[in-house]
Amino acid sequence: MKTTPAFLLPAAMLALAGAMPAQAAWQPQKPIEFVATAGPGGGTDNLARAVQNIITKYKLTDQPVVVVNKAGGSGAEGYVYGKASAGDPYKVIFGTSNAWQQPLVSKVAFNYTDLTPIAAMAQDEFLLWVKQDAPYKTAGDYLKAAASGDFKMGGAQSKDTDEVLTRMIEKAGHVKITYIPFKSGAEAAVQLAGGHIDSHVNNPSESAGQWRGGTQRPLCAFSPKRLPEGPKVTATEGWSDVPTCIEQGINIPQYEQPRTVWLPGKVTSEQAGYYVDLMKKVQATAEWKDYIEKSSQVDTFLTGEAFDAFIKQDLEHVRQVAAEQGWLVK
Amino acid sequence: MENFQSLLHGFTIALSLQHLALMVVGVLLGILVGVLPGLGAPNGVSLLLPLTFGMQPVSAIILLSSMYWGALFGGSVTSILFNIPGEPSSVATTFDGYPMAREGKSTTALATAFGSAAFGALVGVILITFLASWVAQVALAFGPAEYFAVYFLAFASFVGMGGAAPMKTVVALAIGFAIAAIGIDTVSGSVRLTMGVDELVKGVSFVVAVMGLFGIGELLIAVEEDIHARAVSSRIDWREVFRAVARLPKHGTALLRSAAIGCWMGITPGGPTAASFMSYGIAKRFSRRGRYFGSGEVEGIIAPETADHAAGTSALLPMLSLGIPGSATAAVMMGGLMIWGLNPGPMLFIDQKDFVWGLIASMYVGNIVAVVLVLLTVPVFAALMRIPFVVIAPLIVIVCAVGAYSVSNSYLDVVLMLGFGVVGYLFKKLSYPLAPLVLAIVIGDKAEDAFRQSMLMSKGSLAIFFDNRLVTSLVVAGFALLLLPLALQVLRLLRGDADTSGEKVRII
Amino acid sequence: MISRRALETATAVLTGSFGLAVIVSSLDNGIGWGSDGVDAGTFPFITGVIILAGSLYNLLRGLSGIGVAISRTDLRRIAGLFVPAAMFVGAIPFAGMYLASAGYIFGVLALPKHRSLPRALIIALATPLALYIVFERMFQVSLPHGGLAAALGY
Repeated sequence: MKTTPAFLLPAAMLALAGAMPAQAAWQPQKPIEFVATAGPGGGTDNLARAVQNIITKYKLTDQPVVVVNKAGGSGAEGYVYGKASAGDPYKVIFGTSNAWQQPLVSKVAFNYTDLTPIAAMAQDEFLLWVKQDAPYKTAGDYLKAAASGDFKMGGAQSKDTDEVLTRMIEKAGHVKITYIPFKSGAEAAVQLAGGHIDSHVNNPSESAGQWRGGTQRPLCAFSPKRLPEGPKVTATEGWSDVPTCIEQGINIPQYEQPRTVWLPGKVTSEQAGYYVDLMKKVQATAEWKDYIEKSSQVDTFLTGEAFDAFIKQDLEHVRQVAAEQGWLVK
Repeated sequence: MENFQSLLHGFTIALSLQHLALMVVGVLLGILVGVLPGLGAPNGVSLLLPLTFGMQPVSAIILLSSMYWGALFGGSVTSILFNIPGEPSSVATTFDGYPMAREGKSTTALATAFGSAAFGALVGVILITFLASWVAQVALAFGPAEYFAVYFLAFASFVGMGGAAPMKTVVALAIGFAIAAIGIDTVSGSVRLTMGVDELVKGVSFVVAVMGLFGIGELLIAVEEDIHARAVSSRIDWREVFRAVARLPKHGTALLRSAAIGCWMGITPGGPTAASFMSYGIAKRFSRRGRYFGSGEVEGIIAPETADHAAGTSALLPMLSLGIPGSATAAVMMGGLMIWGLNPGPMLFIDQKDFVWGLIASMYVGNIVAVVLVLLTVPVFAALMRIPFVVIAPLIVIVCAVGAYSVSNSYLDVVLMLGFGVVGYLFKKLSYPLAPLVLAIVIGDKAEDAFRQSMLMSKGSLAIFFDNRLVTSLVVAGFALLLLPLALQVLRLLRGDADTSGEKVRII
Repeated sequence: MISRRALETATAVLTGSFGLAVIVSSLDNGIGWGSDGVDAGTFPFITGVIILAGSLYNLLRGLSGIGVAISRTDLRRIAGLFVPAAMFVGAIPFAGMYLASAGYIFGVLALPKHRSLPRALIIALATPLALYIVFERMFQVSLPHGGLAAALGY
């Protein structure tokens, strides 16, 4: 811990009196680094940059914010970096649920407990996609056809959210599907358009363009109720026209991927509190709503105990799938 | 002809004063990030991206794509002058560009590189203009097996041509593959070869390896050969710039062949790096002066540069028409497209005609702006060669350290870079070839992923590589290129010819 | 003075031990090739074996090397470049990129009297300044500031 240099105190006091409620005692004194655990252009990177833009536009902090990408090892690079920066409140790590899922299935040198959870800011939905000219119209048809055992499901990374969902579909539908891991959902989408795989489970934003362009279409959404009505994606259909998977007979009521925000471990609760407030302010802006709508995500804000409970629940669930598949690291 | 009319309409959009100004700004910034190792087009693009949110989408994409052209051109500068390739795709340019610059012909080398790069880019743009829809279909035909076949073809065209001892080549290649495998494996999700160093989970970046192997390694070789005693005359000669460009048409075959390879590799997602290596390898095989390659041949610069830019340009097409980014920069731009409210994909060409054709027209104009600006800077860069070795050597060390660090803000990378420098020196000194090592680092893991994805699809059977005409012909072409030098050797032995490769061949 | 034989042998031992390390650590990932695809360790294992075998071959070939690879004066020149460079890299965590590079340039230019003191000083100060402007200011790439700067509160 270092103390605030004396000459900065008046400035900090001013800022305090001006904008902050009384409990936010801590203020950043140097540039803040946003660490995106995804490459440029990926969903997590887009989120980090959207938050950065909103903070800059509304001057939510006096300090400059820079985004760095640490995408190596499916994001592990960013989390390991966060772990190594323990006690440094100027590194904010943007990730997904792989912060707690990845340590379960591979020998990475971090666990989510090495980090301080700030919030889950948005949820990405999952849909079941097939090629436009595929014969099946409903998820039921799809499962019937998949019973042949020759189906190939593409997805981003291995033993990650996409593969976990694939294994859940196998279990719910009593079928066997070959999972082919690619580098990203975008790659899987192109492979589907080319007919090299039979389906994938991309997020809405990853495949909206292809749906619109008529190369692939969603069969159902892994969501308890239909997605919110937005602008039409194709000429006749929008996200709310996609039935839920339960309606179609795949009993997976809910599967979502949260976008998560973390600080390194060993920061004070004032420091963590500052960022929770900052993210809350970001979420209240019109730009945020715009970003959420354009990327077809669900607005959510989990922090504190609610976030912890969410992690515990998700972790338990993934642990169960991973144990059945024999993925757990020894 | 419909495309042609759309293009003309596009020119009316691209040729406004405001857009030309944006191109100049973009190109200059691009050259800067391209020249500085460690910074690349993705840095520049992600820096400018927030500034573009208030702009018209077409102005924004013109600014960003101009920056991309500038960076592509700038990347060759340090390769030629200091043997430090700033981007993977300009590694092959060092093989002949650096020796030529060392002979004091840096102006010629730079002007040749830029001229042929501009030609490659132009061919790439023409392809985008007139064959967009066809090209998109071709790209869709590529599944994992076809990807693997393309990488195999790239290796086959390059391996076995360096003139080094075969076992040293094999060891260098295998080390490259092993380095590429470090970190998390895409197909199984498990951590590989980190050997107890947690930070290695991110893998070893190509930039780190190349800064050491080429940059530091070459410095050590140069200081040992006491190169600063040999004064490198580097007259600033404007006329030489034009003379070098005017000489290019004499190498028409090489230009066209390299452009074709570049476009092919840009569309099939082999990418600019594989394209430049493959083009160099094939040029060496088929050029009349092939055996002098590696000692400062003009065609040794033309081949990789033309192919690199042709591929870099045509790589933008899959992004627009399919929504797959062909490169890291394209990925950032695609993020931008979505923020501007455009969905990349097949519908872009129908919904956003002004945007698409404005962009395509700006590729023509932007490349012309870029080549003019970059040729104007040649004498400035060539003048860098006149800085005495004692001053430039520590500056190169610092640039390499900064470059290695900024890849992922990691000090470990700086230390690794220095280690690679020692390896680079040893390998050069003992005639181990560096090119196969670098090629394997860059595309080794992609080739492995593609192979294992194919094996998942075929349930472990190799028959998938002969499953359809496309993949079969790629694999057969690969084997043919692999066996060609062997066959020629046998033929020569049968004829009883003496070995003609007695001249001093530079090991690359 | 280093003989060619010694240099060849040392390099082959270096590559060979890397190969061995690759083999050992790839066994952790499992090697195999079946109907469920190719295991993660298979290719690294194969490359490790190739590296090891190739290195052994190069080692035996290298033993017959003759002559001098690096002469005494060569070695001195190489050390003259490499040792300060290694010291520079070693100083980065403490002094940060800016101070370390200024000290490095000043050291190699002024101490062996390659350049006059004022000129060495100018180059030594201009370099980190240029780095700062381009990286930190223009492209917002933060370079290491070092333990010293952190202790001073930056």
